[in-house]
Amino acid sequence: MFQVSREFAPPFSLISPFFTAGSIFYLAAMLLLPMFGVDSTLYDIAVAGWAHIFLLGFVMMIIFGAMAQLVPVVLEVGHFSVDFYYLIWPLLAAGTMSMGVGFAAIPELLPYGGLMVLVAMLIFLADTILTLRKVERVSLTVKTVAVTNAFLLLGILVGFAMALAIGAGVEVDIGRWVGAHIVLVLGGFVTLTIVGMSMVLLPMFGLSHGFDETPVNRSFKIMATGILAYFIGTLFDSESIRFLSMVAIFIATGLYLWQIWLIYGSRARRENDIWFRSMVVGYGSLAFALLLAPFALIGRLESLTIASVWFLVMGFFTFLINGHLFKIVPFLVWFERYSPLVGKEKVPMLADMIPKKPAEFQFWFSTAGVIIAGAGLLFGSDELFKGGAAFMAVGAVFMFVSIRWMMNFGKKS
Amino acid sequence: MSEKITKEEVFNAIRKVVDPEVGFNLVEMGLIYDAIIDDENNVKVVMTLSTRGCPLHQLLVQWVKDAVKEIPGVNEVEVEIVWEPEWNISMAEEHVKKALQGG
Repeated sequence: MFQVSREFAPPFSLISPFFTAGSIFYLAAMLLLPMFGVDSTLYDIAVAGWAHIFLLGFVMMIIFGAMAQLVPVVLEVGHFSVDFYYLIWPLLAAGTMSMGVGFAAIPELLPYGGLMVLVAMLIFLADTILTLRKVERVSLTVKTVAVTNAFLLLGILVGFAMALAIGAGVEVDIGRWVGAHIVLVLGGFVTLTIVGMSMVLLPMFGLSHGFDETPVNRSFKIMATGILAYFIGTLFDSESIRFLSMVAIFIATGLYLWQIWLIYGSRARRENDIWFRSMVVGYGSLAFALLLAPFALIGRLESLTIASVWFLVMGFFTFLINGHLFKIVPFLVWFERYSPLVGKEKVPMLADMIPKKPAEFQFWFSTAGVIIAGAGLLFGSDELFKGGAAFMAVGAVFMFVSIRWMMNFGKKS
Repeated sequence: MSEKITKEEVFNAIRKVVDPEVGFNLVEMGLIYDAIIDDENNVKVVMTLSTRGCPLHQLLVQWVKDAVKEIPGVNEVEVEIVWEPEWNISMAEEHVKKALQGG
């Protein structure tokens, strides 16, 4: 019989450092954001440094912390060894800081930072692969986890090779491989992980049932094929294969958005809470990024490419992650501090464990920031970009305050 | 031998078990499908969950067991989780549907 037992749930003390570190890196990245302008390109070394602080320190850190909790839920078996996670977050945090400093000022630090990140991710991969071997019911989400981990391994090996090139002079054509690194990690791991997890989490929180899953099944196959094809296109340095693989990724993204629409239409829970509104902004941003992407690809327009990546990363990734933190963190705190008291004394509901005003401020400042800064990138206005970035920085302060408030809820002093 | 307990008593006992995510009890959510009581007051509760991946799975089972065991005269309590029929919002009580749908 299907079982998710209490012993499968990792202790709060194991997961909470991921969320604390993730929220600090998010705050740091947002405070640094106004330093950039519309003339920054995806190949600037300072942009690369900032992107690693944001993507490794925030996106990956939160995904890994969430996976410590979600792997047993979605795979329906316990971790091979959840204690591995005690090693992941310090290595990832130290590696991220070293890489940030390495990109900004001391290139010699890059291989060391890259090595720490590589080891952290290999530990994550080892636990996930060994956990996958215990799975009996192979669902789409199980397949997603297996495929995303393979892409992550490829992506970080490519990334590490580039870190050696910058910091230690190893011969690697960075201009050729940086695209594969981005597609493998952002598309193959982050996006496909979100696709798989959303098929569990969105119906769970929205109480959606009875919807057709054909679009997401097709989306998953097409996107995985497209990402693999991009890697092969880079290996053989074929521009046409890379072009076709990007078209496949765009089609897959469209199918995924259609799936989200089906889940949205069948939801029983129609409350307009912070989680739901974050999903609306997140998926709206993904749709807008997808709308810009074909023009950027065909017209080879860098400003459109940057704007599309902006809405993908700062709109879709950020709002999906932050929105779910307002569900996951209260649940973990409740599970740790209140579940043993059920039936003995009055316990709070999860909705009571969200700081209403800071959460609202976080949402509105961040939403305004994404739109204003995105418009700045689209129209080449430095003032709009910096103004939007400042809004995002204020939103990040409220996000940090919200996370601290939720994690301290009911804590005995 | 104590008096035979009724299905209504079992359902009323389970009304104390609240899902902390939605804020409603399992009976008004329509998650409790049946309660089978034999001549010796052994109770088997047949229930479902709103989602297969519910991280509270085992805690909810335990809470239902604990709630039913509080009924005077009850003997053994067993809880079976089933996935057929799959739960949907039409199984919930009217006030729950209205509240969840923002009514």
